[in-house]
Amino acid sequence: MRSRWTWKALSAPGVIWLSVFFLVAFYAVIAVAFGNEDTYSAPIPYWNPLDWNVGYMLDVLQDIWNRGQYFTVFVRTFEFVAIALGLSLLIGYPVAYYAARHVHGRWRGLVLLCLILPFWINYLMRMLAWINLLSPDGWATKFLHYTGIDQIFISLGLLANEGGWLDGQPVTVILALVYGYVPFLILPLYASLDRIDQRQIEAARDLGAGPFSAFRRVTLPLSMPGILAGCVLIALPMFGDYYTPDLVSASPKTNIIGNQIDQLTRQGSEKVTGAALTLVLSAAMLVLMIYYLRTTRSAGQEAAEA
Amino acid sequence: MSDHELRGDELRGEVKIEELTKAFGEVVAVDGIDLHMPPGEFFTMLGPSGCGKTTTLRMIAGFERPTSGRILLDGVDVAHVPPHKRNVNTVFQSYALFPHLDVAGNVAFGLKYRRLSKDESKTRVADALELVQLGGFARRKPGQLSGGQQQRVALARALVLTPRVLLLDEPLGALDARLRKGLQVELKTLQAELGITFVFVTHDQEEALTMSDRVAVMNGGRVEQAGSPREVYEEPSTEFVADFLGVSNLLSGTAATDGNGNCALKVGERTFRAMQGAVSTRGEAKAMIRPERIVVEQHDTPGDNRLPGLVERAVFLGNSFELHVRVVGGDVLKAFMPNDGTAMPAAEGAAVTLHLPAEALRVLAPSPAPSEHAPEQTAEPVVSSD
Amino acid sequence: MRAWLRNPWGQPRALVVVTGGYILWSLVPVVIAIMFAFNAGRSRTTWQGFSFRWFTGPVGVFHDPALQGALKHTLFLAVICVAVATPLGVTLALGLQRWRGHGAGTVNTVMLLPLVTPEIVMGVALLLLFLKVFPGLGLGTVPQAIGQVTFTLSYVVVIVRGRLVSIGREYEEAAADLGAPPHDQILRVVLPLLAPAIIASAAVVFALSIDDFVVTQYLAGGASTTTVSMLLYATARGAPTPALNAIATVALVITLATLSLAFFVYKRFAGGGDAAVAAAMEI
Repeated sequence: MRSRWTWKALSAPGVIWLSVFFLVAFYAVIAVAFGNEDTYSAPIPYWNPLDWNVGYMLDVLQDIWNRGQYFTVFVRTFEFVAIALGLSLLIGYPVAYYAARHVHGRWRGLVLLCLILPFWINYLMRMLAWINLLSPDGWATKFLHYTGIDQIFISLGLLANEGGWLDGQPVTVILALVYGYVPFLILPLYASLDRIDQRQIEAARDLGAGPFSAFRRVTLPLSMPGILAGCVLIALPMFGDYYTPDLVSASPKTNIIGNQIDQLTRQGSEKVTGAALTLVLSAAMLVLMIYYLRTTRSAGQEAAEA
Repeated sequence: MSDHELRGDELRGEVKIEELTKAFGEVVAVDGIDLHMPPGEFFTMLGPSGCGKTTTLRMIAGFERPTSGRILLDGVDVAHVPPHKRNVNTVFQSYALFPHLDVAGNVAFGLKYRRLSKDESKTRVADALELVQLGGFARRKPGQLSGGQQQRVALARALVLTPRVLLLDEPLGALDARLRKGLQVELKTLQAELGITFVFVTHDQEEALTMSDRVAVMNGGRVEQAGSPREVYEEPSTEFVADFLGVSNLLSGTAATDGNGNCALKVGERTFRAMQGAVSTRGEAKAMIRPERIVVEQHDTPGDNRLPGLVERAVFLGNSFELHVRVVGGDVLKAFMPNDGTAMPAAEGAAVTLHLPAEALRVLAPSPAPSEHAPEQTAEPVVSSD
Repeated sequence: MRAWLRNPWGQPRALVVVTGGYILWSLVPVVIAIMFAFNAGRSRTTWQGFSFRWFTGPVGVFHDPALQGALKHTLFLAVICVAVATPLGVTLALGLQRWRGHGAGTVNTVMLLPLVTPEIVMGVALLLLFLKVFPGLGLGTVPQAIGQVTFTLSYVVVIVRGRLVSIGREYEEAAADLGAPPHDQILRVVLPLLAPAIIASAAVVFALSIDDFVVTQYLAGGASTTTVSMLLYATARGAPTPALNAIATVALVITLATLSLAFFVYKRFAGGGDAAVAAAMEI
């Protein structure tokens, strides 16, 4: 209230922590990306912007411009994420809709629990589950073969060999991404749909709109902010994902940008290029991040003022 | 007052507010007001929501910093002293009892800063609870108490610190009517016993009139009038005060003197003699009369200060009737008549004559007159009369 | 059939099917994985009978040194992360909530950034930070802990701030009115009232830490700093035994137990089930 410095002092530890281990860390990426390598291929960061060496960054950008390897990877990443996003919406929206608008009483708690549970199960464990199921002798492989579904995939060119689900198949990676991230889409959708006032829909029905029409003209538009927010919320981690392809595919054919960065930076010794690529990825993500921050901040402020 | 002297206390609990202003950005919530609360007085700030009374109270407590002006507590300007260093305590509208402490814990909260021994502390807490008649409640949690009980705990928590001034922010607002009446009496008694200065904020004029030694009627950040309950009720100086404190039947007309020191108000064809208020006003003026002072008479009763009319509505209020009479000229005046057991004194549609006794008719000055009770709705700050 | 589908008062059948199907698709694979942790044989794909060997046997979670080590290290990191992130987050939340003036907006944004930054970006950034700015620390437990704290901090702030907003300023004012200086206002009034949110955020940090992968892997410094997540990643595609399923199950049980505990604590003290669910949804 009165002593303003108390509150600032209280924030200080957290602010200092974030400054050092987040802001400075990010600057380290910039300094390395615009830095150099020594004879042992270890990165030398150039902290002073005046010293920056744009060589490595230019190489990366040129590669992208000339449709080289990184360009291919970026395009593949966008494709995978876009398809995964679409499928996630296709699956997630009806589920969120049902949970928000048609489940009442005791059931609601149970359904919500089922929807929240995947959050707290280790992502890698969930992938492990599918690795087991999709192995050549796994239950899912057998089931898909037994029902002939795998033949459909093969004929569509989506599966190379019978039982080879885990052998560098893009379709497996995309479906794994969907499996992994759709729970993170459903909850924001649920929250957004839950907030829609039932009376507005009733009014539309009262004015003569059939159920589909009411949905299309009232519910869908009103839930659009939630859809956008949810999509951004899962697109961001998807773009940075590398472990999902590593786990369900392990082939360079399905490398997305996360894999590329990981291979350069952690697995390999091209940290400068890796840092440069990280910066390019961050720049691409910036728009999404700002959008999400803007919308959640204003929502938070509204809640605070309420 | 003797209580204070007995306690050997030189500090008496006198509050003086000088040109106090509070602006929130563009909005001026309190506009340069002056108020004086002598020690031991039950002082009420009364007004509609948004009039600045709560903001003023919060500034006295220390929760808001004034934009300008002084707040003198026994002569010391405390306007910039943080709230935990002022010897005033507050009873909040929502009581603000700490949910994680029991009643005794709540009451003892402030004692921690007085460096008392554990036993002394315990005794004082017990005494405070006795004072508000919650003797056996020490171990209860706030969530287990009724509204009225929480109210008392809040009171005890403040009083146990023997403040010189107690601030009460609409403390009875959340209680039902009967409980409220009971607590009003209790609060008044308590205040008289303890001799502490009470600064009370409310929007309920009945409450203000019942409990206060003096009332300050506020509107739009200004003090319209400050005086005893009887003064503000019987002798309102502005239309707003007249209206806020009760029903005020208003007559508009042209004023002139009548040679006897009274006012002759020409309303349409008739002339009324008014003996109260700004009687030396000339020109356009308004006069008001309280409904209980109007005498309802038989139709066509002759005499001065009379007005014929038709009873439009007769409302049965239990202990009285409220007659809405449409008089010549088109206005509707309200008159009270006690319910003395006779059947409806005047039926709806009946023709009656309203007698407005001159001694009850009060002229409201349209512009500031150089008198003691002189506030005007749009005028400069008021210095209340001592 | 049409009538059954079109019944305006009944549940829309298609949605029920989709939702039910989704829940099954979402949870059954994990249930199966857990089931195989109790497989009597070495296969993770063929059921060979029920057994506890992958938990209590000589190569089970509770005896195999590599698995033990990973589990211990995971829990160790989680405890440290909670111990550091919770106070840091609570103080930051308190400070931010009451901060008037310049800088508050910026700090707020910086605080929210980790929540929307892809983990690989954070992993690379922290790796480079520890290689180039703090080389003395090397890579390993301390950097892993620091990295985890950095991204879980924001969760604490968000949860605690939510509760602060609903508490409001009244109790602080009452405390001040009664003579409490600002630090006492916090210690004696605000913190006790925040307790449920603090517990909830501690549980969330615990769960996030146990499940964390990218940052933990990037800052790892050798076999002794392996966590359960890292183990899963490293061996999932190899030819491991159901011991992998077992260790994942153990980690899961610990996580869910902690969260359930926190849920009930929050429910008891704060606002009932709805408040707890709302808090869960904040994330």
